[in-house]
Amino acid sequence: MSVSLQTVRDQAWLAFEARGLPTTRDEDWKYTDLSRISALLGEQWWQAAAATEIDAAAFAIPNLDAYHMIFVNGRFDAEASDLPAGITVSSLAGLIQDEPDKTIELMAYHADAALSSGLTAANSALASDGACICIAANTRLDKPLHILHVNDGGTSHLRSSIEVGQHAELEIIEHFAGNHDASGLTNSVTAIRLAAGGRCTHYRLQLEAVKQCHNGRVEVKQSRDSAYVLHAVELGALLSRTDVISKLDEQGASCELNGLFVASNRQHVDHHTRIEHNAPHCVSREHYRSVLDGRAHGVFNGKIIVGKGAVKTDSAQSNANLLLSDKAEIDTKPELEIYNDDVKCAHGVTIGQLDKNQLFYLKSRGISEEEAKQMLTFAFADEILAKMGSQPVRRFIERAAFAKLPIITDLEGMLV
Amino acid sequence: MIEIKDLHASVDGKAILKGINLTIGAGEVHAIMGPNGSGKSTLSNIIAGRDGYTVTKGSITYKGKNLLEMSPEQRSWEGIFLAFQYPVEIPGVNNTYLLKAGVNAKRKHQGLQELDAIEFLQIVREKAKLVELDQSFLSRGVNEGFSGGEKKRNEIFQMAVLEPSLALLDETDSGLDIDALRIVANGVNHLRSKDRSVVMVTHYQRLLDYIQPDVVHVLMDGKILKTGGKDLALELEERGYDWVRQEAAA
Repeated sequence: MSVSLQTVRDQAWLAFEARGLPTTRDEDWKYTDLSRISALLGEQWWQAAAATEIDAAAFAIPNLDAYHMIFVNGRFDAEASDLPAGITVSSLAGLIQDEPDKTIELMAYHADAALSSGLTAANSALASDGACICIAANTRLDKPLHILHVNDGGTSHLRSSIEVGQHAELEIIEHFAGNHDASGLTNSVTAIRLAAGGRCTHYRLQLEAVKQCHNGRVEVKQSRDSAYVLHAVELGALLSRTDVISKLDEQGASCELNGLFVASNRQHVDHHTRIEHNAPHCVSREHYRSVLDGRAHGVFNGKIIVGKGAVKTDSAQSNANLLLSDKAEIDTKPELEIYNDDVKCAHGVTIGQLDKNQLFYLKSRGISEEEAKQMLTFAFADEILAKMGSQPVRRFIERAAFAKLPIITDLEGMLV
Repeated sequence: MIEIKDLHASVDGKAILKGINLTIGAGEVHAIMGPNGSGKSTLSNIIAGRDGYTVTKGSITYKGKNLLEMSPEQRSWEGIFLAFQYPVEIPGVNNTYLLKAGVNAKRKHQGLQELDAIEFLQIVREKAKLVELDQSFLSRGVNEGFSGGEKKRNEIFQMAVLEPSLALLDETDSGLDIDALRIVANGVNHLRSKDRSVVMVTHYQRLLDYIQPDVVHVLMDGKILKTGGKDLALELEERGYDWVRQEAAA
């Protein structure tokens, strides 16, 4: 053993001290101003929140039949959890205590990793807990695993790892929630590895409390013929930034990233995604949409890199944005870097208000202006949620998302 | 049913309609023909209430009421239906949901009870047969991924469900092959009744072989220059439109 976990942590801390928080002078952070974080949380914003008790049942997803792994203010709550048998599920804190060497690779900070920042370094140095899941080859978990991170403000640094064995299948629901008036930062890194033929469906639901800040990072490394599907939903938090890095490293791998932002008031939501086609015959699909009301600000940056050897790449990306108010803003940038000729890459961006022709069409069928606007707004956002396989999650998000848009007054009618 | 008097209208300051006079009685089928750019679509859009047109003079009275004061949805509740020349696609809004919302809004306006899901589904299934529309279309997004012919059939299907008193068919025949034209025409003929008037805006005489009009109008240069029986359509097909203009000038 060349280095200890402590050395890795110390190095990460030094890197964090050197890098500090990203600023808007960094190209990747041009539209997301983190000076708000230190203004809200004070100088020592990185210090972890105290332990507390929260009734996790208040954040349950109705009708969801799942296993549960519950974290409260960044600490695993074994009592509130209901863990599956047959697969390995540990809390990071437990692993650090019992088998620290096993966590070195997971905890390491790589300054040159794509989209890494001072926050990633802080996470390496300070992460104290998270979900560490390992599903063995040729097995399938019979129910989804709901990983709930609930907080009552303050800061938590979470680091999770999901290892899916050969031809194993796993469905996880990473759910960030809170219901409080305090400020804080949830800083989460999730590393996912799919062995050959492994499949993982990943719901990532950001429903933080109104003044909470959220920084997320999802790194996915995929082997041959593996399939990864992400449903990322951004509803909560004052400021939220998530980076998704998907590496299609071996042939036949596929990834699908579906994202929906529904933001209002002064909410700020930013997703930077990076899909690397590093091998032939890989498929990627990316569909992001946002509905922005009030003074909400959305940022989407979708980079797709097709390497020299990644022939027969099949990639499609779309980003559509609906602005319900004059003061809402979206900054969107698709970026394609293609280094060989034998590829199929489609991409498109739209920004707009509700379509006048669609509105007139509905009204000409007897539907009132107000109801027509509702129908079109709902339909626009729900097209992304319709891709979810889990009906309970979809319904839960529909209720949470559309309840915050004043334009939707008859939500239950639309859900029929 | 509807009385249009000296209607003048413009788009972006450009005069398109320059004094239309047209009266359509209950149960009558009128065809409005004319060359491209003559104002045919403008007239049907103004009747349906689309934005972007300015009526500078004249009036439209529908069932004794001032039509121009009504919103598009009010016009629909009062029985006006426009079959679009280019039906829009609305992904995510289910075809059946759209119609149910429309039908029930109209019933509410008329002081009737809303239909429940089962009653409504029965009506919808029956009307879909009329235009030979596959049941699977009912649960799809409005016009989403439909072919040109399927979109036009869907328009006639919607018309059948909404049971209008005045149906405006804006170039419904354009781009249809003979089979689709026959299906669409069957649907329209089925809906003909003594209480229901139909206005067909068309470019081609062939539609009138399938749906026999009572009256044919020629709309040119923003005015109705000639009115006749269905033989007029045949004459237009043979001789074109220039003679109508010359005759009107004389």
